[in-house]
Amino acid sequence: MESANELLTILPLIIIGAAGLFVMMLDAFTGSARLAYLATILFSAAALAVAVSDLFGPMGESFHGLITYGGTSSFGMVLVMTGTLFSVILSRDYLEKTGMHIAEVYSMILFAAFGMLLLVSSNNLVTLFLGIETMSISLYVLAGLVKNHKKSVEAALKYFLLGAFATGFLLYGIALLYGASGSTFLVDIAATEDKGMIYWAGVGLLLVGFFFKISAVPFHMWTPDVYQGAPTTITAFMATASKAAAFVAFILVLSRALPDARADWSDVIWLFALLTMVVGNILALVQDNVKRMLAYSSIAHAGYIMIGLAAGTDAAYSAVLFYLFAYTLMNIGAFGIVAYYEWHKGYDFTEVSNYSGLGFKQPIMGVLMSVFLFSMVGIPPFAGFIGKYRVFAAAVDEGLISLVIVGVLASAASVYYYLRVLVHLFMKESENGIVLSRPGTLYTASLLILAALTIFFGINPGVLTDLLGSFWTVQY
Amino acid sequence: MDLFAVAFYVFAILIIGSAAIMVFSRNIVHSAFALMFTLAGVAVFYALLYAGFVAVTQLLVYVGGILVLILFGVMLTTRGYFEKVRTRTVNLVPSTIFAAIIGLMLIAVYVTTEWTLMPLEDGEVTLTGLGELLLTDFMLPFQVAGVLLLLCIIGAVLMAARTRHPHPPAGKSSQEGPGGPSYGEGTGRS
Repeated sequence: MESANELLTILPLIIIGAAGLFVMMLDAFTGSARLAYLATILFSAAALAVAVSDLFGPMGESFHGLITYGGTSSFGMVLVMTGTLFSVILSRDYLEKTGMHIAEVYSMILFAAFGMLLLVSSNNLVTLFLGIETMSISLYVLAGLVKNHKKSVEAALKYFLLGAFATGFLLYGIALLYGASGSTFLVDIAATEDKGMIYWAGVGLLLVGFFFKISAVPFHMWTPDVYQGAPTTITAFMATASKAAAFVAFILVLSRALPDARADWSDVIWLFALLTMVVGNILALVQDNVKRMLAYSSIAHAGYIMIGLAAGTDAAYSAVLFYLFAYTLMNIGAFGIVAYYEWHKGYDFTEVSNYSGLGFKQPIMGVLMSVFLFSMVGIPPFAGFIGKYRVFAAAVDEGLISLVIVGVLASAASVYYYLRVLVHLFMKESENGIVLSRPGTLYTASLLILAALTIFFGINPGVLTDLLGSFWTVQY
Repeated sequence: MDLFAVAFYVFAILIIGSAAIMVFSRNIVHSAFALMFTLAGVAVFYALLYAGFVAVTQLLVYVGGILVLILFGVMLTTRGYFEKVRTRTVNLVPSTIFAAIIGLMLIAVYVTTEWTLMPLEDGEVTLTGLGELLLTDFMLPFQVAGVLLLLCIIGAVLMAARTRHPHPPAGKSSQEGPGGPSYGEGTGRS
């Protein structure tokens, strides 16, 4: 039966959608956060497994062209589910220790993941919009989880107001593009012949909507406040899964809906990539709060990734996908460790000076933090280096040399603020006689897995890069 | 006079009448209810013009959404009873002059414009096609929109519910008034 086969093409989406509803009902009838957590882990792992196996499956379109599956979309699903699974595992210990462990968190995370999965597999602006909205609304709620903490409420409100504003831009862009092309399907938009003012206004507004979601400068204002105010493991989820989903959808739109206009949008993205890298890195230099620093660092990373988008070749897109993978691994890891230190003292225990001397108290956590931060800097044995190298190399092939020079200089400057954390961890004397407890086995294990993957794909990137490269050669 | 004209004039009177009540009423809740009849009457106009989708949207968004929002706003912002919320007229002279000028301008535009009257076409009902598309080609977005609305409700409840205070600020006592927040592990749920 054809329709049943169509359902199989979006199996991870269906698993996660059903899981969201199931966990919600589980919460309503049992009220047990523990059961909700276990169910969430099981469903996420299942969806991740299906997404990984889909990577090697066929590519195509289903649901009357609304959905694209296989290839880039499947990889997007892998990114989203990796982010979701690890965030959920890390969330439980953190939320329990900080007394915020309620079952609704998990259904909200699952609904957000549902939106992201739809976003990465959308072949039509309607599904794209629904995906973005489902994702965003869940994230607004998650950001404001700690209702009696001002920063968290502020984060949720800011995120909601600015997010609603950005949604307006996106929707206007979609409406204008529909007006210009007569269709919301990405392929039909690519075939638009009459590229008048309406078309370009639509493209521009669509880009603004995406720039907001990937927090490119000057649409980044919400990022530091939201990342700092939200519970740390939720921040990890936002910084990795939602950003990766937005980037994958951005790639889909750029490569499918606007391939002919590449010369035009390439210059625009060039400019925004430059701004994002420079502003993100400079502001990260002066941050004293680790979560805020990581927020600005994620803006800076968005800048590096945008270099790949500006290049706009198949090689650049697959390099961007690799970068997103490395970025997901190391960011969840770093936020996981920040969460670990935070739960010993309280919600605001994230100033860099708080970290003095903590490195030797639980050496394994200190070492893991070093791995993730070195990977973010882009130092060779780690995956972050390969990601940066491949993105920059693809851009050089396209002649974006000046942009790459700025990128390299910016990432050299980033060494300062990443290593500052390590200096505090290992080379300063402890001021507050804080005693670190051992983290749970699963917590440590998942961080170890993340670190191992970071190192594995840093040493042996060929496994993944060959696969990613094959998506584009088959498609075009 | 055909049925269309009868319907038109009946609802035109309803719209203008309820709009007048809305403006002149001294009770904001009465105004809100009068506004409901105005908005619903406009929806009937759309339906009469075979713009079925616009009519339904008008009902959903304005009567169903905006109006309920107004009433909720009144309900939540006043402490006592609805009767206490009264409107009053301020700046009588300037506003009369301003309204008169606007009115004159609108009349002038109406008189000077050369209207071309189009015969009313018995167009096909667009709603059927729309409904069919929603349940065939666009089935998936339709379903996802359902999930989206569900999660909006859950999210709103989660944000608005004040029963859980899982993370008490150290050393501070309750500022939440009587009933108080419950502190400690796994609060709120029993």
